[in-house]
Amino acid sequence: MISYALFYLIAAFILLCSMMVVVSRNPVTSAIFLVTDLFFISALFAKMNAHFLAAIQILLYAGAIVVLFVFVIMLLNLKAEELKGARMTVPEIGVLIVSAIGFVVIAALLGADGATTGGDGRWTDEAITAAGGNTFAVAMRLFVNFVWPFELASVLILLAIVASVVIARKDSLVSSGVGSTAPAQGKGEKGKVAHGTR
Amino acid sequence: MVPVEHYMVLATLVFFCGLAGVMFRKNLIMVLMSIELMLNAVNIVFVAASRELADLDGQVMVIFIITVAACEAAVGLAMVIALFRKYGTVNTGFLRMLRG
Repeated sequence: MISYALFYLIAAFILLCSMMVVVSRNPVTSAIFLVTDLFFISALFAKMNAHFLAAIQILLYAGAIVVLFVFVIMLLNLKAEELKGARMTVPEIGVLIVSAIGFVVIAALLGADGATTGGDGRWTDEAITAAGGNTFAVAMRLFVNFVWPFELASVLILLAIVASVVIARKDSLVSSGVGSTAPAQGKGEKGKVAHGTR
Repeated sequence: MVPVEHYMVLATLVFFCGLAGVMFRKNLIMVLMSIELMLNAVNIVFVAASRELADLDGQVMVIFIITVAACEAAVGLAMVIALFRKYGTVNTGFLRMLRG
């Protein structure tokens, strides 16, 4: 019973914060609500006995990613968005609501007739406790069964670092050449042509 | 124990909040934040299914999703900065060079 009450409390907060992220006019407000949302999702992970994920959810998402967002908002010095240009049309809202209802029905039917099968079924809560806790069990899984995807993830992060530096650099070809009508042939000339024609 | 469908319905609703943000917000940073919201909804599904099926692979997948989300946010925000430097706006209504 307590478990249900806790779940519905956390779920209500998650939904509330998610809606506030989307409807807030000020990006900073949205970012704050996103942090709150991530904290409650982390609480949900902890409630599902995924303690390690609850920790990295806070460390990585709330600690790193949202801080990055807030830094960029601060750099760009954005004003509160004018919602005039963002009028939604009735068909768009209709499509969104209908598809949302459809997906909710599908999600609600997932538990019926053993629709959720598969998995090895070895890692019950008791088995995880016996194996040395959630963090240890997940780490064994990650470094034994998923070691090559783990290494590839490090390559992905390296690529993301290089790409971010190249894209955001001041004299970058990408940032000065985007949207230029001149054909992309001269490597050094491209940025100047783009600036001239604009 | 709360049945898995409850988690799935919650994740679906969060996902559609994010989708609405991607569809209707005009600020590029808001679009990126909404994408983060959608990725988090998927994370909830993975963890709930991992618990339901008593299989830890779902939790390992969430670690990879968080990694990819971090990379996506970094590159996306770099692009936002580059676009802002060139056009002075991050409004998706103005940035329509790729529309035919």
